[in-house]
Amino acid sequence: MEHMKVRGNGIDIHVAIQGPSDGPIVLLLHGFPELWYSWRHQIPGLAARGYRAVAPDLRGYGDSDAPAEISSYTCFNIVGDLVAVISALTASEDEKVFVVGHDWGALIAWYLCLFRPDKVKALVNLSVPFSSRPTDPSTKPVDRMRAFYGDDYYVCRFQEVGDIEAEIAEVGTERVMKRILTYRTPGPIIIPKDKSFWGSKDESIPLPSWVTEEDVTYFVSKFEEKGFSGPVNYYRNFNRNNELLGPWVGSKIQVPTKFVIGELDLVYYMPGVKEYIHGPKFKEDVPLLEEPVVMEGVAHFINQEKPQEILQIILDFISKF
Amino acid sequence: MEKIEHTTVSTNGINMHVASIGSGPVILFLHGFPDLWYSWRHQLLSFAALGYRAIAPDLRGYGDSDAPPSRESYTILHIVGDLVGLLNSLGVDRVFLVGHDWGAIVAWWLCMIRPDRVNALVNTSVVFNPRNPSVKPVDAFRALFGDDYYICRFQEPGEIEEDFAQVDTKKLITRFFISRNPRPPCIPKSVGFRGLPDPPSLPAWLTEEDVSFYGDKFSQKGFTGGLNYYRALNLSWELTAPWAGLQIKVPVKFIVGDLDITYNIPGTKEYIHEGGLKKHVPFLQEVVVLEGVGHFLHQEKPDEITDHIYGFFKKFRTRETASL
Repeated sequence: MEHMKVRGNGIDIHVAIQGPSDGPIVLLLHGFPELWYSWRHQIPGLAARGYRAVAPDLRGYGDSDAPAEISSYTCFNIVGDLVAVISALTASEDEKVFVVGHDWGALIAWYLCLFRPDKVKALVNLSVPFSSRPTDPSTKPVDRMRAFYGDDYYVCRFQEVGDIEAEIAEVGTERVMKRILTYRTPGPIIIPKDKSFWGSKDESIPLPSWVTEEDVTYFVSKFEEKGFSGPVNYYRNFNRNNELLGPWVGSKIQVPTKFVIGELDLVYYMPGVKEYIHGPKFKEDVPLLEEPVVMEGVAHFINQEKPQEILQIILDFISKF
Repeated sequence: MEKIEHTTVSTNGINMHVASIGSGPVILFLHGFPDLWYSWRHQLLSFAALGYRAIAPDLRGYGDSDAPPSRESYTILHIVGDLVGLLNSLGVDRVFLVGHDWGAIVAWWLCMIRPDRVNALVNTSVVFNPRNPSVKPVDAFRALFGDDYYICRFQEPGEIEEDFAQVDTKKLITRFFISRNPRPPCIPKSVGFRGLPDPPSLPAWLTEEDVSFYGDKFSQKGFTGGLNYYRALNLSWELTAPWAGLQIKVPVKFIVGDLDITYNIPGTKEYIHEGGLKKHVPFLQEVVVLEGVGHFLHQEKPDEITDHIYGFFKKFRTRETASL
């Protein structure tokens, strides 16, 4: 595995790469609060099968740059970064890549497919289904979430600049990371201001078999170095993204797509999601969608919890193209 | 003119005033700065007579359309979003597109990001300028032409509006419209637009009635909406990173007057005639330079422009879908 920095879209983007230099590129996009490292189990497997696995730290994360302004974290900035990474690593402008996304990485992957379908050969998206910008942008996404779940809903708690950053600093990055990684409640993350969500400082949080103390240490060290503002700024652009997505109202995703979600993933329980995934609308919006897969007994961090199954799903799907 | 219908369409969070006439394949006409739907008054009537449905909106910030206050609401994504919403609400899948000045910039970007909504484009006056990855557009203009370059002078909210307010609106509009000076417009703060000489008599193509129409609309609305497009240039640059290096893949005809300021920007003639524009717009099929014609070419030579547009779109009649 190599680690390198790609200069693109005005920033330095750290990427972990493994696999033959002429292998078809598989771009792996992590979510929140994660890193390239979330794909540690899939990268060698992809490389062994002749693919070139490319896992960036997204803007704001890990060893990539984290601009200070909130406005630097719209989906247009992030997709701009990825287009630059793809251009830097492909031999010709016509070359398409495979994309695998999880959580925020999945959302960004949907947008990459909307904005630059010419760059994506096929998509495997985990956890977060597609959602179209409504025709009328006047109801803002964060307002909708606030109305549905209240002010302590995690997305609402993330809005006030500095607020959640201060809370995380007080609770401690290790506790925060362990609490999030081990969250298996099939329901919304509500974070009351009394910090009770994170548990008591004396109670240790036991780790499941699929994540080790070393893994946690890696995540924690990178997040302590970088802080959480960059990553949280993605959420602070929900409303702005909605406003800017006017040109794609009614647009479909024209890329062959495989979608997988864990049965216990909190996303599966967000308003409208189950109906969307299992109803006709998902296939209407993504005509080349294969039958969505719901993995029993699996929660949000699906590529870490079921690494071999996810690797196999990716390989089985992309081998068709 | 009475046959032109005026409607208000709710799109992308704004109310958009649209002038339309005729039935048949839809042509969408996009005006520039400081202009209105009215810019296309001749083409609207001509194309209705030629069997098209001609549609000309007041773009966001102008005339009888909404003008949100903040410049952050005037990125190219907002304007293109307005037009996609307009097409969606009219039930039009693909349009023929005509742009002028800022409307040409909007047209380039509609073709770049939603090529599936455009049959063919006739663009006028302003070429497609590829995104420079290292320099923001306003910074580039400032470096090339100095702080007095009109785009730089337009940046500070309120500043140029104060200058404009000291000139009778009809006179100001007339100055913009009939200028035939091909040099890059630099207006020192000490002189301002208020200090420019009174325009001579109106040319044949611009009547008192026309000037009054413009004067009334801009007196009512002000210029801030239109100026916000310039104020959002750097922001639009940042947001269009995903399309860096992408070609515009729509059939295009480009027309410009040889007295147009834009044609005389250093490097532009070579860019147009020596392959630069074609590199970024590979389906550029025709380039026409009109001798002795200025910036407002479709108002100055309406029949000629109509003929050029008609001749080009005729080639694509099998590509289009008639409007519902």
